Amino acid sequence: MDQNKIEKFYDKNYKKLLLIPNILLIIALAIIVYHYSTTGEIINKDVSLRGGVTATVYTDKQVDINELESYLKTKMGDALVRRLSEFGTDKQIGFVIDTSNTNGDLLQKELETKLNLKLDQSNYSSEQFGSSLGQSFYRQMLIALGLSFLFMAIVVFITFRNFIPSTAVVYAAFMDIVIPVAITIIFNIKISAAGISALLMLIGYSIDTDILLTTRVLKRKEGSIWERMTSSAKTGLTMTFAAIVALLAGYFITNSLVIKEMFFIIVIGLFTDIPSTWLMNAGILKWYVSKKENVTKENI
Amino acid sequence: MSLKKIFNWRVNLLLIFIILMIIAINPRPFVKGVQITSVEQGGVAYEQGIKVGEIIKSINGQSINTLADYVNEINKLNITPQNVNVVTDKDTFTYSITDDIGFRVDQNLTVIGSISDVEKGSKLYEINNIKINSLSDFDNLTNNLIKKNKIDIVTDKNEYIFLIAGDPKIQVGNAETTNIKKGLDLEGGTRALLEPVEENNQTVTSQQVNDLIKILSNRLDVYGLKDLKIRPATDLSGNKFVLVEIAGASKEEVQSLIEQQGKFEAKIGDDIVFIGGNDIKFVCREDGTCSGIRQCSQISSDQWDCNFEFRITLSPEAAKKQAEITKNLDVNVTESGKRYLSKTLDLYLDNKKLDSLQISEDLKGKETTDILISGPGFGRTKLEAYNDALSSMDKLQTILITGSLPLKLNIVKLDSISPTLGQQFLKSSFIIGIVAMIGVAIVIYIRYRKLRIIIPMVITVIAEILLTLGVAALIKWNLDVASIAGIIVAVGTGVDDQIVITDEVLKGSAQSRYYNWKEKIKRAMFIVFSAYAATLAAMFPLFFAGAGLIRGLAVTTIIGVSVGVFLTRPAYASIVENLLGE
Repeated sequence: MDQNKIEKFYDKNYKKLLLIPNILLIIALAIIVYHYSTTGEIINKDVSLRGGVTATVYTDKQVDINELESYLKTKMGDALVRRLSEFGTDKQIGFVIDTSNTNGDLLQKELETKLNLKLDQSNYSSEQFGSSLGQSFYRQMLIALGLSFLFMAIVVFITFRNFIPSTAVVYAAFMDIVIPVAITIIFNIKISAAGISALLMLIGYSIDTDILLTTRVLKRKEGSIWERMTSSAKTGLTMTFAAIVALLAGYFITNSLVIKEMFFIIVIGLFTDIPSTWLMNAGILKWYVSKKENVTKENI
Repeated sequence: MSLKKIFNWRVNLLLIFIILMIIAINPRPFVKGVQITSVEQGGVAYEQGIKVGEIIKSINGQSINTLADYVNEINKLNITPQNVNVVTDKDTFTYSITDDIGFRVDQNLTVIGSISDVEKGSKLYEINNIKINSLSDFDNLTNNLIKKNKIDIVTDKNEYIFLIAGDPKIQVGNAETTNIKKGLDLEGGTRALLEPVEENNQTVTSQQVNDLIKILSNRLDVYGLKDLKIRPATDLSGNKFVLVEIAGASKEEVQSLIEQQGKFEAKIGDDIVFIGGNDIKFVCREDGTCSGIRQCSQISSDQWDCNFEFRITLSPEAAKKQAEITKNLDVNVTESGKRYLSKTLDLYLDNKKLDSLQISEDLKGKETTDILISGPGFGRTKLEAYNDALSSMDKLQTILITGSLPLKLNIVKLDSISPTLGQQFLKSSFIIGIVAMIGVAIVIYIRYRKLRIIIPMVITVIAEILLTLGVAALIKWNLDVASIAGIIVAVGTGVDDQIVITDEVLKGSAQSRYYNWKEKIKRAMFIVFSAYAATLAAMFPLFFAGAGLIRGLAVTTIIGVSVGVFLTRPAYASIVENLLGE
């Protein structure tokens, strides 16, 4: 297609295109609200935020994970067992057990009996979170997330000193957080304290592209708005894809479930950043600038 | 394009910092061997002047490259047990010894201290059928009996040759190859998050927390746990915590040492005679003459118990108090004819009765500063009971020496982390770094089709990682999984900024001749600095959230983006300008 045609199409339809990210956001919010109304929680909290034990056994001994899980369920109340494997060879190197039962010693004893394995510090890690601590961690992380968001918004408002464009940047960052949260609910992914800090890191990544776009559109004079927007998009999409490629590499290679969880959330956020920046933030800016131009013309 | 142009002050500044940070990291990839991590105070090695941090090269001529080599050599020094036969005026004893005869005598050959079966106060006649006539006879004989080995330890600093019975009482680990400190989740060990609570629900003051940390670290140190980190932590709601991290300690040890407030009281009836801490002037420890396991006996077919005993010295005030209380007590006579006071001296630890001691008649109304503390240990076998008694004794001695904690501690989080995953995590991190870099390079190549951009970009990324690690080593930050995630975030932001800079420079040269170099960079840097400020603001709350357990993420992210913004990006901008601008 001709460059001109795209530009004309965009000029005519950018307000309609704004609907796409907004509909996505509404769907995401609806999922979160529904989840909240049925479970009383915004996210699926893992043991680090709920209280419980997460333990790792390092062994190449083959174990039926489903059987182990149901055995532990009867003994501990609830349990989730995940396999740890080596990248490339897919060889089992161990498994991770999460349970909301806070009795770590009992878990270790049950595992020793079931696996017929002596567990000590050479082959066993356990992290124990008291349930009140888990609750307080959760509150703390939400406060941290809220504060981060607030501080970021203040910086953005100071940088641009312009209400609508600044709001657009903050709005886009909000969307970049909400949609990944909704995705974790859909896939029933449990979120740890590290997962919430990944959302916090997303704030930083998300606004990079928005600041780039807003600066080029508002503070530059060369070329048309369309030219400035497309050049920003070229730069911004390169940034986003470079980050996605690097994080996907990390996601597939690492054997740390914490890193996997964080990278998954950030990658989803980066994909979300594409419509939130280039359809929504760009659309709002375009709207804002054309309105301002009209006002200036009328004044003359 | 001249080299002079490329190596302008921005690039030179970066190079200087890279060199400084490499010095800070101090990589020693070829260092092999085992490093001394702690030297027991008062031990032979300590007296010889062996210091923590020295790297052991060889022991007795055998070169030491791995921990296994070390263990192997030390095991050779272990002494095989031998039986001794001791005759006193009271009885004849035969028992097994390793590195100590188990009792001491004075000039008159009266037994003054004993951890063996030999009864205190008895007179020594013979050892192994050899008549003992003087103290020097005793010393000579025991010196001949207990074989000492010559040990020759060569370290990177010095050579130490000395005689030793048993092992040299030092702890070792693999030699460190850099100054970068690894956090607990990579190194392995035990971590506890403690919440101090005031008994009457009053708010805990920072002063109390500081006192608590002082006593607690002293307690763990006296007990013998080395390599420990204790720091106060607060969260966003102002709750106070104490975070304890100990590399290479077991969860059980840490738990039992922390859980006890350590309020030690000795009572006769309801009267407190003395309490742990100030009333106790001296606690005998690691000295066979006045501290040790006295006797073991079998209670049932699978139950043994062992008794420990150690001597403590009371303050004169406490002795006076004891005299006053015992003055008014009656004397009871037991069936075997021994005469004891009517009430016992009861020892309580955190309001739990530890033991009751009979007070012999001759102590009635007397000011004695010497008290023998005893307590039991249990197990299914004799060895288990022995070890249990030994560890109970160790803990009690520790608590008596260090006194009680000003606050009760709730263990709110207790982690025991195996070093296994940490090692694998580090290995995979390197692979991730390389694969991620290749991925980014491909994206950049697709976009610009210029190798000239990829090379400085990759160099910049490596420089940024190096600088971040260097700063982390300088501030002695312990790198954990969260910190490594932070480095990844910072590098990602760095790549983003480099793309912005590249585009500004390319666009500037293509579109307009009106903008000079400075203007272009200024424009790029506006975006870079705005994003930097926003990232800093976003990371700040993580310093405090969750008792600071994921502070590492914030720390390395902030270091990474800061070195990026102030050092690497200006240098990258000037390199790209020179490579592309003409």
